[in-house]
Amino acid sequence: MSAVQVRGLRKSYGPLDVLRNIDLEVREGEFTVLLGPSGCGKSTLLSAIAGLDPVNAGRIEIGGVDVTDLDPSARGIAMVFQSYALYPTMTVRNNMTFGLRVKRLPKAEIDKRLTWAADMLQLTALLDRKPAQLSGGQRQRVAIGRALVQQSRVFLFDEPLSNLDAKLRAEMRVEIKRLHRELAPTVVYVTHDQIEAMTLATRIAVMRGGQIEQYATPDELYERPQTLFVAGFVGSPAMNFLPVVLRRNGGAVAAELGPVTIPLDAYAFATPPADGTQAIFGIRPEHAALSGAGVQVATETLFMEPMGADTLGWFQLGTEKLSARLAPQTARGISGPQRLALDIANASIFARDTEQRL
Amino acid sequence: MKAARIGLYAFLLGAALFFSIPLLIVVMTSLKPMTEIRTGSIFALPLAPNFDAWVKAWMSACTGLACEGIRVGFWNSFRILVPSVALSVMAGALNGYALAQWKPPGANALLTALMLGAFIPYQVILYPMVKILSNIGLYNSLPGIIAVHIIFGLPVMTLIFRNFYAGLPDELLKAARVDGAGFWRIFFEIMLPLSINILIVAVILQVTGIWNDYLLGLIFAGRDNAPMTVQLNLIVNTSMGEQEHNVNMAATLLTALPPLLVYFASGRYFVRGITAGAVKG
Repeated sequence: MSAVQVRGLRKSYGPLDVLRNIDLEVREGEFTVLLGPSGCGKSTLLSAIAGLDPVNAGRIEIGGVDVTDLDPSARGIAMVFQSYALYPTMTVRNNMTFGLRVKRLPKAEIDKRLTWAADMLQLTALLDRKPAQLSGGQRQRVAIGRALVQQSRVFLFDEPLSNLDAKLRAEMRVEIKRLHRELAPTVVYVTHDQIEAMTLATRIAVMRGGQIEQYATPDELYERPQTLFVAGFVGSPAMNFLPVVLRRNGGAVAAELGPVTIPLDAYAFATPPADGTQAIFGIRPEHAALSGAGVQVATETLFMEPMGADTLGWFQLGTEKLSARLAPQTARGISGPQRLALDIANASIFARDTEQRL
Repeated sequence: MKAARIGLYAFLLGAALFFSIPLLIVVMTSLKPMTEIRTGSIFALPLAPNFDAWVKAWMSACTGLACEGIRVGFWNSFRILVPSVALSVMAGALNGYALAQWKPPGANALLTALMLGAFIPYQVILYPMVKILSNIGLYNSLPGIIAVHIIFGLPVMTLIFRNFYAGLPDELLKAARVDGAGFWRIFFEIMLPLSINILIVAVILQVTGIWNDYLLGLIFAGRDNAPMTVQLNLIVNTSMGEQEHNVNMAATLLTALPPLLVYFASGRYFVRGITAGAVKG
């Protein structure tokens, strides 16, 4: 059963289309991340699901009920905001119970939920403090607690970790993952940070220009990106893109990069491309190695970028630059001409005009 | 450096003394009997300071035909002040909250109109206002003058609160809406408790503005409700008999006292509120 279903959603501010015909389905218990650069419409989509912004067209269902025209509080959602949005004059206790008091729940029930959420988030000692007396991480935990006590089936997170420093962000990421494992709520989570998306999500919707480019599991997204944009946006260090011309010779397809020819026998084309197709050959740095199986290409060593666990080696291939993820020990002392082995089965090839995967 | 400091303080002290001369003269004169005023210099210290003139100004100075002192005006001003300040500040806060946080369609047009409204000189609207109030039977009445003060106070009050609320993060309102709170609940439980400083600023502005008002009180309040400023003028500008300078000075001080006390009591908040507003937008 789908917990959140969005169909044909459109939203524009004057002449500017922010969401163009969005379809999105989030299954019960799923952790869906909306990922994209700023201005792609991901926060607008979340606001639309929350009911904070009216939409121009389309339909939103939560738990099988059409909520398109319902108030946020009638949608059965809870939300966590980027700026935490705690009520400054209220104590932590009153912040967390405000929504329950508005809904006139019995006092015993409110206390039970407060105790439960405070316990789960280690907030019990902070209940009588004001938000100004809390650290950033504590404020974010209160904001999450305020959502938890609602015991909604659907939780919406709007870039909840982007105001935290790197170390705290990593801690909170683990915390959110733990909460999702223990409580198994349905989550829609907006972020521009692909690490957050990859670590938390069961499925990621990559957005660009008000549209969803691809909606898939993190593995699928990483290994088989459907568009050039997704391939470039997901993965760090980024995928190498080489402009090539595809040549057919009988059943065999090869990519021509200037004088270099890369046979593509190991690549699974969705449909066999025509001869002379202008394409982008994409290969992740970890699929280029100094030794091993795969298509061998002759390169010239340019320089090394040590990154701790790995070293990113840069090589000249014909007229293009190519990066390879190397073990630091291997990378030391490498210079001059090198043969690189490319793992073609794990490469991605896109048409240059449509930017779609071939 | 040392000499420069001494020079600076000497200058400041001189300036302070210079600007306090009128106040000193008023205070000293109010403490002298008329005989002393007639014979001595206005700079002479009172020989036997006493509050006779103050008592007369309060209890029995003549304002036109009635000789009941300025206390009548004091109570009139008070009756005008309290509802005018309370209602104009509340209405301004509510307007500002609605405009800045809920952003209804046309909010910006309304804001522009309010800005213009804040800069229109009173004189332009006086006559139409008189006509309107007399048509609805509120001219020369207490509700009439209160309504006028509220209407004239609204643009500035709305702008002050709008700027304050526009400086709050949008997400605060969104969070409260997700929590299920409505327009009024969010206003009273979340926004208003946040606004203590700006409320104090608004109250100070309105208290001093309305207490010091002369023109509107003269025109709209009617003789029975004439505020203290209008009665003060009647005492000071009487053309019959001898000018009792000591009583005039005492009446002036009595009239000026409430705003002065407000400033002294709340100066700290006033500065804090202004800077808070400045930083938050």
